[in-house]
Amino acid sequence: MKLARLFASALLLVIAATTISMAQTVDDLIAKGVIRIGVNSAAPPFSIVNTSGNVEGYDVDVGNVIANYLGVKAEFTAYATAARIPALESGKADIIIGTLTPTPERARVVMFTMPYVTFTTNVVAPAGTKITSWDDLKGKTVSVARGTPQETALVAAAPAGTNIARFDDDSIAIQALASGQADATVVPNTILAEFKKSRPNTDLELKFEIARQYMSIATRRDAFDLRQWLNTVVSYMRVTGQLDEISIKWTGSPFPHDAPVF
Amino acid sequence: MDFLGLHFRPLIGYAPVLLRGLGLTSLLAVTGVLLGGGLGLSFAIWRFMAPKRYPWLTWPVTVYVEAIRNTPLLVQLYIIFLGLPSVGIRLSPLLASVIGMTINLGAYSTEIFRAGFESIKKQQIEAGLSLGLTRLQVMRHIVLVPAVAKVWPSLMGQFILMMLGTSICSFISLEEISGTAYNIQSETFLNFEVYLLIGVLYLLITMIMKTSLSALGNSMFSRLLPARAVKAAARAGTGVIE
Repeated sequence: MKLARLFASALLLVIAATTISMAQTVDDLIAKGVIRIGVNSAAPPFSIVNTSGNVEGYDVDVGNVIANYLGVKAEFTAYATAARIPALESGKADIIIGTLTPTPERARVVMFTMPYVTFTTNVVAPAGTKITSWDDLKGKTVSVARGTPQETALVAAAPAGTNIARFDDDSIAIQALASGQADATVVPNTILAEFKKSRPNTDLELKFEIARQYMSIATRRDAFDLRQWLNTVVSYMRVTGQLDEISIKWTGSPFPHDAPVF
Repeated sequence: MDFLGLHFRPLIGYAPVLLRGLGLTSLLAVTGVLLGGGLGLSFAIWRFMAPKRYPWLTWPVTVYVEAIRNTPLLVQLYIIFLGLPSVGIRLSPLLASVIGMTINLGAYSTEIFRAGFESIKKQQIEAGLSLGLTRLQVMRHIVLVPAVAKVWPSLMGQFILMMLGTSICSFISLEEISGTAYNIQSETFLNFEVYLLIGVLYLLITMIMKTSLSALGNSMFSRLLPARAVKAAARAGTGVIE
């Protein structure tokens, strides 16, 4: 019994430790002089680790603008796709600018600002493969990054008999297709564009568009003050054209004006 | 089911996929131990038996051992699963995982067996040969069995490390315990709960492996264990020469 009690109190301590740095305001961040921003570890062109080992990309540019308006230093850490929300929850990151699409499930855990970036999700396959609709995926192996909206979309729409192979992120999912370990993949258009940059002679092409996804900055659920401030910054960046500039630099097109606001 | 603010109830619905993952991890553990251990033993024997006059005979083994022991398992799996198709060898996630774990464990266990073989004194072998045992008999009774008995605990440790390492196979889309956990976690956001649960599952496999491997060791090497040897000798009414 003694051992059980010891174990229980140790567990409580762990849980308590993870909740300590939770409530957070703009003032807190200014006082600390630094904002810890979590980005996605493998989501070109939104965040990529460059040849000198630093992260760069759309999300990093947005993060730097935010830190600039806050008057603090930005500290970027790259997290794997499935580790982004846990990093925020556990207090390792203050905000996540990491290609997170606001979904009702996620919004039960974290809070989202209005979207700051967008892309389309597509079924991609080699030019020789005839795929025009979901039905054509029957009997094929389709690779996808686990824990992403494209995975949810694929699971919901794929006909029975589709073999879904889940990988850690989009770049491995598309690599699996290029290696012939999958017949098709579901990835954002930007991933295919980046892939084509590094392998210009690939025959992979967009087959059909599933959805346009918008992605938001995430804060912890209790950080209303911070979220409101971030919303103001995103709105300001949209109106002043700052966001268009970043968008054109990394994706080739401006940020759409009919993007949702919330 | 709710304990200290953790919610395990929603995980009940995932029991079938978790069991499937448990089955895959166990399958990888068993095939890994059998194939990887066998590979390691064969290479170690090869290295031990190869005539010293032709050192190049053992070079391939050395290259294999060093290449595998000095590169990450993840890199090896990616090369097997994503790299080999470029030379026309396409393996399913399960087959790629089995091969990856076998090759990885094979390299580590080669070295462990080697340590066992090197612990056998030259004089013992000479004594065996002078008593009229054939080369094969010497290899079996004087070298192999005592050497393996000596390194059995380290081997068990390596086998368990290999089993725990199978969690990396989720990176090549194999849905063993960890891959299943990543999927459940991304659907439910019950991170702590899922990882606590699979921690228990891994512990379960480790316990089973430990128990059965030490039972196997006891039965294989019972003659060589000092305490048993004393008892057996007492029963037979002979003295123990040590």
